[in-house]
Amino acid sequence: MKFIRRALLALGVAGAIAAALRVKGKGGVPPQQGGWRDIASPK
Amino acid sequence: MIVVAGTGLVGRYAVDQLRRRGHEVRSVSHNTVNEVDPVLTEVVLLAHAGDHVRTARRFLEAGCHVVSVSDDTKDVLALLDLHGDALAAGRTLIVGAACSPGLSGLLVSYLGAKFESFDEVHIAVHGTGGPECARQHHEVLSGTALGWHEDDWLRRPAGSGRELCWFPEPIGSRDCYRGDLADPLLVKHAFPHLGRISARTSATRRDRLTARLPMLTPPRVGGDMGALRVEVRGVRAGERAVEVAGTAHPMAQIAGSTAASAAHELRRQAHFGTPIAPGVLALGDAVLPNNDILDDIMQTGIRIQVFQGVH
Repeated sequence: MKFIRRALLALGVAGAIAAALRVKGKGGVPPQQGGWRDIASPK
Repeated sequence: MIVVAGTGLVGRYAVDQLRRRGHEVRSVSHNTVNEVDPVLTEVVLLAHAGDHVRTARRFLEAGCHVVSVSDDTKDVLALLDLHGDALAAGRTLIVGAACSPGLSGLLVSYLGAKFESFDEVHIAVHGTGGPECARQHHEVLSGTALGWHEDDWLRRPAGSGRELCWFPEPIGSRDCYRGDLADPLLVKHAFPHLGRISARTSATRRDRLTARLPMLTPPRVGGDMGALRVEVRGVRAGERAVEVAGTAHPMAQIAGSTAASAAHELRRQAHFGTPIAPGVLALGDAVLPNNDILDDIMQTGIRIQVFQGVH
């Protein structure tokens, strides 16, 4: 019983860490200047 | 006659576009496509859910050109293996003629012409077409993502490799991640000289956390807005340069327009006695009239934009 509790606790902690790692992250850098322009026909 | 197999959003949009160009079109469902008489059919457009390889082989052997919108990696690999069948039949099979893959290959070809040489392609896609496309999007975040990196396939867990990508408005910036996407396979097929290819798909934190579970919420019946961003890097005037192109429209409209234009071009070239080379091709391949197909897509109202400025 003790072993099962420890295993479940270990799984829970591992899952929490995995979830935290999966959602963390830093933002990117936006374009400094400029924008999107329509193109003419490529033909 | 052109047969469109698939009555979802993409199939219905493709049928509409082909009829506007004056083609005789028959729309059939996934379940009734095997009842189609190949003798009366010149081009078959496969736009249904599920694998396309069996149906594609049947129609190729019967002497039809085939266009497939499949973006499932396993199905795309199986379709690429039909090259021998297509050559034997003297017919063309265009694989992955949707948004990503599909329009992405055409934009690589368009942007590549602006370089003396180009060696890197990085693709990002946002949004889903119909419900089946949404289910596919849910699954691509739980597999293994392929990328081409210096003469070898790079395998990374799908859902990793976060990158903030800027799409044309109204989509704007989205976090994108590696996914089990077919784009690297088909871009490599069309541009074998490339040194680096990556493909990412936008996803939310909930998408990533629930990727290995069944879909918790049903997909939208009407699909949603989609966007595509293609970045090509190469050498111009002796210096490294970057070109970026993209589009933002409802995803079913982008995919349906691309599929319809590919089918239209196959039939048009055959009609004028200048058939496209037989075999299995991906959009962007040098033997295809890529600019004609891209122009045709733009005629349907799809705006293609390039990013001008500092990245």
